[in-house]
This record gives sequence, structure tokens and C-alpha cells, in this order.
Amino acid sequence: MITLGTQGKNTFLEAVNEKSGANVLECYQCGKCVGTCPVSQYMDFPPREIMQMIKLGLKNESYMANSHWFCLTCSACSGRCPREIDIPAVMEAVRHLAIEENYLNTSTKVKEIRKFHEIFLSMIKRYGRNYELRMMAEFNIRTRNLFKDMHLAPKALLKGKIPLGVKPLKSAKAIRRMYAIAEKLEKKK
Amino acid sequence: MKKLTYFPGCSAHGTSEEFDSTLKLVLKTLDVVLEDIPDWNCCGATSAHVMTENLAYALPMRNLVLAEKLENTTMGIACASCYQRMKVTKVHMDENPELAKRINSTVVEDGTYHGSVEIKSMLQYAYEDIGLETIKSKVTKPLTGLKVACYYGCLLTRPKNITHFDSPEYPVSMDQICEALGATATDFDFKTECCGASFSISNTEVVESLSGKILEMAKESGAHAIVVACPLCQSNLDMRQPDIEKLQGVKYGIPVFYFTQLMALAFGYPIDQLKFPKHIIPVEGALANIGKVDPSAEKTKKTTKAVKAESEVQ
Repeated sequence: MITLGTQGKNTFLEAVNEKSGANVLECYQCGKCVGTCPVSQYMDFPPREIMQMIKLGLKNESYMANSHWFCLTCSACSGRCPREIDIPAVMEAVRHLAIEENYLNTSTKVKEIRKFHEIFLSMIKRYGRNYELRMMAEFNIRTRNLFKDMHLAPKALLKGKIPLGVKPLKSAKAIRRMYAIAEKLEKKK
Repeated sequence: MKKLTYFPGCSAHGTSEEFDSTLKLVLKTLDVVLEDIPDWNCCGATSAHVMTENLAYALPMRNLVLAEKLENTTMGIACASCYQRMKVTKVHMDENPELAKRINSTVVEDGTYHGSVEIKSMLQYAYEDIGLETIKSKVTKPLTGLKVACYYGCLLTRPKNITHFDSPEYPVSMDQICEALGATATDFDFKTECCGASFSISNTEVVESLSGKILEMAKESGAHAIVVACPLCQSNLDMRQPDIEKLQGVKYGIPVFYFTQLMALAFGYPIDQLKFPKHIIPVEGALANIGKVDPSAEKTKKTTKAVKAESEVQ
């Protein structure tokens, strides 16, 4: 059952506002964000509905929606929002909270998006920079889709579009140290 | 001679090597010397900010701290995603000293963050610091006859309170640079639509759909080529173009240049230095239009100027 704010505080709304620096309550549901968003058609709930869900304190539903995973942070919506709400920051806040609280959207697409980002971050942790070829290979292996983009590979490799190696940082230690401290900070919160 | 701190970004050594190398040619002509940030690291784009707040700030922070050790006041960034992440970090750190202190603790062995270096995209640097007049004065082979759709993507001008550059809806800086080179910028409505960016690998269908619309609109605007200032836009529009053509059943064959490649071409650099063989879509067809006079060119030119005048009034 949905309860509207009368039973005390909407702690979910407060958490999102605090993390994003935006005030979701300012949204008056005009829907301009939905019309502007290039990926709203792929979302379970388009940005306008997510905003309302946060206002209603629908934490589980917001966390489990694929919307914040599909948000490209292109900022087209916030540029046109008549209330000037930083909607991408709201999406990001919901996603970060969902990750922190271990809410896992298990749809294949979301799992793939998440896997990609995890592999990307592991590349930086290891080399300090992105190793594109290895990232693509790992993504294909870990999503069990070995032949994805393989038809592009011969041309891209021949033309040197994608280099075979990566030049790691001299101070790769500095990056690993950064990761370790950042992870510690994450736990402290 | 001017000096500029330079953050090349990971793709400068890979997918966008032609952006990096033509940028260096152009700046040589313009008497600007680049100083790389020593031992720079990946800025985290676009994955760090998706997954975690601390790393999203910490990765750019290390580069900002290292950049402060060089003497220049401005840093130029080639890649639009890197530019966005570094600028977001700087703006948020400057607004919130408490946060800056917390993030600085992750890279404190590299130095202390003061926020003293200004961050600009290379497009912004060319437009604001070098200027159209200087660019024009260096042109030896004008690109007359070449019609281009200037595509900015999402990250160079948005969000406005972060970038403070050009218009978030209908920017004109790259159009004016191309016109200073003698080319004609078409009236192109999809200048700041998203190409799908970071979904290139994990969500290719979305990229093909979004980039497909951009190609369609560019073609409709009458452009021979698209001009970009972002490595992700370039690879999505160029490398994925044959697949998009197959999907839509249309033949675009529209090459995607970095604006620095066109600048270098107009500045008279020989074609074999411009890395055109790296393009998936061949460039020769579009370049064959240079030198041909098109009667409709004058008209399009006026449209861009009128729009600029309009945006200035606003």
C-alpha cells in the first residue's frame, strides 16, 4: 500500500535530496524531461515518474527500476527543466544508494551495463589508464557474448584504432592507494 | 609563444590518436606549446561516477593536483568526457571545501588541491583563447565548398552551470571555427543530441538508434561531413556507421572529422599527416567538394549567423 507522507518522514526523499544536492519536491510533473530524454523509451519508469516515486517514498521501486542505469548523464533534461532540477544528479543519487544498499536489478541489460562499468574501473585500478582492447575482451567473456563487435575488430585493429597494449602509469601505486582510501571512505558513510 | 597544460586522456593513445596528433599540428602553427600533466591517470569517465562518488572525484582530483605543479594557469582537455569529469570535480570542490578536503585525502601523497588551474575543452580554448581572427589568419588552403554539420554532443556545453561555454541547446563555436576555415556550417538540429556515449560497448542497440538519428539529420542538413570534438562521438558515428546503415537500410557514407583535422588541413598541412586512413568511413568523397562553389552556400551561412545573433540577444 502506498502511504502519502502522513506517517512521518520520507527518509528516502531526504536521502536522495542530500546526496544529489537537488530538491525533488520542486518537480511539478510537467514531463519535459521525458520528452527530452534520449533513452526514456528504454526505461521502466521515465524521469518524471521516478521523481514522483521519490516524492512518494517508493524506495524499493525506485532502486529496482532500470531508469537510473539507463541515464546517460547527458543533462538534456536538466537544461530544459523549468524548475531547474539537476535530474541526472537525482538519478545518480538513486543509483549510488541502490548500490550501497545492495539492491540488484537482475535484468540482463542492467547486469551488462553494470558489468561494463566494473570492468572499466578494474582496468584503471590495474593500469591507471583504460586498456580498451582488454576491456572489450573481458566484457565479451564475462557477458558470455564472445563474438560481440568481432566484425569490427579486423578493421579497427588494422587501422590502429584500438591499440594492442596500454602504457601503464609510473606511479600505479598511487592509483591503488587511491582506490583503497576511497573504498574505506565509502564504508565509513 | 603560449604554454598550455595538456590532459590527453586515454583515448588519445588509442581510438582518438588522430585528434591528439592533429591538435598538436594545429597548435604548432598557432605557437602554443603543450605540457602534458606528468604521469596523468584516467579521469574515470564514464564509469567511476556511475558506480561511486568518491572515485568519481578522486581520479580527476589526482590530475588536478599534478596540474597545479606546472606553472600554467589553464589546462586544455581534448576528450569531452575527460573535460566534463575534470570540470565537474573542480566546480564541486570549489563549491564545497569540506568535500575537497575529503577527496584530497585519497591522493594526498601526490599533493594538496588548491583549485588554481582553469579547465577548458580544446574547442573552448580554440574559440576563446586563440580566437576566430587568429585562426582565419593562418588559413592557407580554405575549405570552400565543404559543407559540415558541427556536432557537439552532450558534454562540451552541458550542464551550463558546469561548462559556462556556448549554448547548451544550439552552440555555434565549432560552426564559426569551421566557417573561419572557409567551410560552410549547415543548419543542423541535432548538435547537442546524445550519441549514446558510454553505451557503445554495453548497450550497442541504444547507440545505434541514437547515433542513427544524428547521421540522418546531418545528411538532411546537406552536410558532406560531420565535425566533432569528442572521441566517443567520433567512434560511435564513424566506427558504428556501417552497422547503422545496415540496420536502417540507408547508405550515409558520411565521414566524421575532428575539428582539428579540418584546421590542420586548412592550415596547409599535407594530407598524409592528418591520419585520414584511421577513419572507417572514407573521407575522400567529402574532401572532393573543397574548391567547388555551391550557390546555396551563401544562404546557409546567413542562417548560422542569424542564429548566433539571436542567441546573443537572449
